[in-house]
Amino acid sequence: MSAGDKVVGIAGARRRRMHARTEGRLPEPTPDLLALRAKIEALEAELVAARESGAAPQGVLVALARIVQEGLAGFGWETLARAWREAYFSYHSEDVDDFGYDRKFTETLRPLFEFLYTVWWRVEVDGIEHVPEHGAALIVANHSGVLPYDGLMINLAVRHQHPSRREVRMLALDMFALLPFLAPLLGKTGAVRANPENGERLLRRGEAVGVFPEGVKGVGKYYKDRYRLARFGRGGFVRLALRAGAPIVPVAVVGAEEIHPVVGKADWVGKPFGFPYFPITPTFPALGPLGLLPLPSKWSLDFADAIDISGYGPEAADDPILVNRLSEQVRSTIQRMIDGRLARRRSVWFG
Amino acid sequence: MRVAITGAASFLGGRVLRRLAERQERDDLLVVDVAPPPAALGVRYRPLDLTEPAADQKLLDLLREEEVDTFLHFAFFTNPRRDQAHAHELESIGSLSVFAACAAAGVKRVLMRSFTAVYGARGHSPHFLTEDTPLHPNPALAWARDKREAEQHAASFARRYPDMRVTVLRFAPLFGPHLHTFYTSIFDRRVVPVLMGYDPLVQLLHPDDALQAVDAALATWPQGAVNVVPRSPIPLVSALHLADKLPVPVPHPIAYASSDLMWASGIADAPGAFVDYVRYPFLGDGARARREMGFEARHTSKEALFAYLAYRYPGPAAPEGRGEERSHADSEATA
Repeated sequence: MSAGDKVVGIAGARRRRMHARTEGRLPEPTPDLLALRAKIEALEAELVAARESGAAPQGVLVALARIVQEGLAGFGWETLARAWREAYFSYHSEDVDDFGYDRKFTETLRPLFEFLYTVWWRVEVDGIEHVPEHGAALIVANHSGVLPYDGLMINLAVRHQHPSRREVRMLALDMFALLPFLAPLLGKTGAVRANPENGERLLRRGEAVGVFPEGVKGVGKYYKDRYRLARFGRGGFVRLALRAGAPIVPVAVVGAEEIHPVVGKADWVGKPFGFPYFPITPTFPALGPLGLLPLPSKWSLDFADAIDISGYGPEAADDPILVNRLSEQVRSTIQRMIDGRLARRRSVWFG
Repeated sequence: MRVAITGAASFLGGRVLRRLAERQERDDLLVVDVAPPPAALGVRYRPLDLTEPAADQKLLDLLREEEVDTFLHFAFFTNPRRDQAHAHELESIGSLSVFAACAAAGVKRVLMRSFTAVYGARGHSPHFLTEDTPLHPNPALAWARDKREAEQHAASFARRYPDMRVTVLRFAPLFGPHLHTFYTSIFDRRVVPVLMGYDPLVQLLHPDDALQAVDAALATWPQGAVNVVPRSPIPLVSALHLADKLPVPVPHPIAYASSDLMWASGIADAPGAFVDYVRYPFLGDGARARREMGFEARHTSKEALFAYLAYRYPGPAAPEGRGEERSHADSEATA
């Protein structure tokens, strides 16, 4: 018998004692009163039964209320674990996809993402129709901004402004995809660690995949080097697209360079923690965690015409000259779009 | 088919033996092991210790005498052993003896049990590990090192003796009723330490699926390694919450050091290098099994987990939504 039962018992005894004391002075209870008392007792019994069977789902509040009401008797590993479980699955789904993409978790974070997209960076999108409606597509963009916000914004742009509302699976750099805390966060919101096998698998499933061929060289570049594209790796993204026969959509991201202007680097601080660099910005690490707040620049995403490479066939992936030429074509397209956007831009903060 | 099996006292080996005993002529079934099989099975038994010095010669004589044409090699430790030298003798050198004797005796088919953990959980490897991914387990982990050496022996004998079909099944961690291993024991505690800031996907393979994969392999005999994995993986922290555990985050440098210390002092069941497996995913890709053995697991990792929980915590107290999984457990018990 649980503590709840005892409470009822004591209350019942007290009622009986009071009854005995007042007997003789009070008039006989009316049938109305008797009926009411019977109803209350039935309700109490029902409560006790419900509490003991544990049939009702125990949310955090129920568990807390129980601990408050019953004192230490209501506290137990079981109660705590149940409450934690309820709380955990209120924002995680029980089933995730093969790469760990958790829709419910992403939905929970969506208001924050939307805020960044519409209010903080006021993202302006151009040429979104170049992203194919369905089937595999490789979205290639310039990388900047220290933390991978640009991938998130490309994903949101396609979700918001493309008629298909499709999901873009961003390929995240190792340094992000293996970093504690950021790694599960990225995985649950649909990003995948960047490597050729993962990219090819996603493309073969007919997904839209986003890559940043500049890699570490791009995302951590100095503020003085902003908007000058770094080398596009060794054309791995082109080989990926050739092998899967997926069209390449170049994207120019303008605005992300200014969110964390890197003025210096202290790599020896980052290396022991597995981070390839340690950026110094006007606000970080001077302002501590506050320095992690990205600056509210005005962003624009320009999508260029998709480059159809299906004519080359998968074996073209082994032709280094062709791979390099396509890679250079994508790079110059992106650089041209960036330069055009920069020429039109009058303010970093207002566009 | 005259079949010899070693490691029949292991969970999987024992089940395979029982299934074969039901299906085929018991006279054609031979157990080669240090421990005799249950007498009720009525199969033949020849004692042999794979760790003794001339085990290969003894096994060769035995295989010739019995005219064995199919050898099933299940003699591997699932739990890490404190006696590392013995584990090495059995798993690495013992496998070498098995392959040498089988090759010399002209055994046509050899099936070896292996583990997806032998790929190693490295972070830098592809998300899905296909069979041609190099095996890079943590070099500090003798448990995985011995198994990788066994795999190397298998690959080298397959290359040198093209007439001998060598099939290696790499099983994802088994999880289900009647299993008691160092990793299922995690789910016997109330409070479970997890790594702060990491939540890898894990694959939990239902034993029924593992048995079905062995059946499929015995029917098709694909050459080389094949991953045997469940239908879908599950995030580790989700799995713990589904089991009503309290996960307590621990920073990983502390986790490595403290589990090494606890292993050394005899408190923990596994050394610190195993922390890799709760830090990064090691997910086998099941495409080859589908393609070449026609095998696809029936259970997801979540179903395997629930089947284990229903077995471990029977009674009406089991949380809602486990009724269906309990039926799997029943079928397992009667099988």
